[in-house]
Amino acid sequence: MLIDKTDTSHSKDPADVAIDHVANSYDHILLHLPSFGVFDFSITKHVFLLILVGFITVSSMVFLVQRYISSRTKVPGKTMNFIEMIILYIRENVLKSFIGEKHYKDWDALVYTIFFFVLIGNFLGLIPIFDLLGFINYLAGGIPVVKDLIHGGNTVTANINLNFALATITFCAFTIAGIKKYGFFHHWKNLAPAGLAWPLYFIVVPIEVMAMLIRPISLTLRLAGNMMGGHLALIIFTQIFIIEIAKNYGIFAALGGSIFSVSLSIGVILLEIIVAFIQAYVFALLTAVYIGMAVNVDH
Amino acid sequence: MDNPLFTIDPGLFIWSIIIFLLVLLILKRYAWTPLLDFIDEREKEISDSLAMAESAKADLEKIKDESEKILDEAKKQGKVIVGDSKQKAEQSANNILNKAQEKSNEFLVDAKSKIDLEKKRAIKEIKEEVVELSLDLASQVLQRNVKDDDNNKFIQSSLKAVKTDEAKS
Repeated sequence: MLIDKTDTSHSKDPADVAIDHVANSYDHILLHLPSFGVFDFSITKHVFLLILVGFITVSSMVFLVQRYISSRTKVPGKTMNFIEMIILYIRENVLKSFIGEKHYKDWDALVYTIFFFVLIGNFLGLIPIFDLLGFINYLAGGIPVVKDLIHGGNTVTANINLNFALATITFCAFTIAGIKKYGFFHHWKNLAPAGLAWPLYFIVVPIEVMAMLIRPISLTLRLAGNMMGGHLALIIFTQIFIIEIAKNYGIFAALGGSIFSVSLSIGVILLEIIVAFIQAYVFALLTAVYIGMAVNVDH
Repeated sequence: MDNPLFTIDPGLFIWSIIIFLLVLLILKRYAWTPLLDFIDEREKEISDSLAMAESAKADLEKIKDESEKILDEAKKQGKVIVGDSKQKAEQSANNILNKAQEKSNEFLVDAKSKIDLEKKRAIKEIKEEVVELSLDLASQVLQRNVKDDDNNKFIQSSLKAVKTDEAKS
């Protein structure tokens, strides 16, 4: 969370610095790509982070799984053992429980990918790689690419656009699952319970449609809010807190305050590790729950 | 929305969908499917092994029962065989003893008859010797040789006397 020498944001209000840190930024574009109307495909820092998350997820999982499968002993290592434990836990307690034995195999890959993609996105935000880059940039006096990288957020899952994209995929998944099971018209008929007095449908159907549409929004805001909240708290404890003390009480008071802020930050980081796991699990769980609700209407 | 935390960014939204779907496809092809197949196969192997172990256990129990039965049967047969052998051995021992007894009896009878025969011959020889001695003695007493007729008469009468003695004895 260091600010480079060429950056002008240090003159801003500390709250703006904090928001700059977690928000995407088009002020510092890494690679300019053509735009189509509102769709600007330029590689910003969050797109770069997204690619990095995708690359880490794919390379680590494929490497670990392929090494495990092709190993002669067929004994998993510590990391693979942990991944297998998660996979089996999700299969037994989420997929089989909510989607059911019959249909879970159609959707397991999606649920696993959501879990690991979100988990790695959350964890990447906890590792201060861009702050290290900022420090390097600070020492080097401003390196063009590095200077652009350190702007904007460093937790891609705190961005509502990514989360909404994942939630949209979840929405499409449970809609497709329902249509696949019951057919197009029957699936939409399932929105309202059968056997109601007909005037009630005027109330029930809009409520059910709203509930269905609100699902991706709730998924988006839950993950974004949790990840953003932790990072904002960290920034407040490590930056704003110190800056305000230094402004009002001097540098020595700020040094004293830093002991308090660092210990508090360590606590928040530990909490964030738990939150990273929980939020990845919740996103995957709710995806399975929504798919299950679409395919098991009778239950 | 002016708040940068909630800025709608359609470019990032499309990027997110593309990247996530790519990740999903690659992971489904190269990670989840092979891993889940592997796990299923391993679970099947484990359940098969457990079933095999169960059946092996049942087989073992069966074999144990059978072996116990065979052992009991063998023990019974052994006892029968030992009993038979004992009986046969006793029988053959008795036979041998009987035969030995018979043979010894035969030897005894034979020896007895031989002894009798020898005894008779000896007695006869002694008698003849006695007769000759008597004749010699009589010749010496009479100072003459007894004629052959006399001799014969004497011998005959002596023999008669011996026979009557024998019959008496």
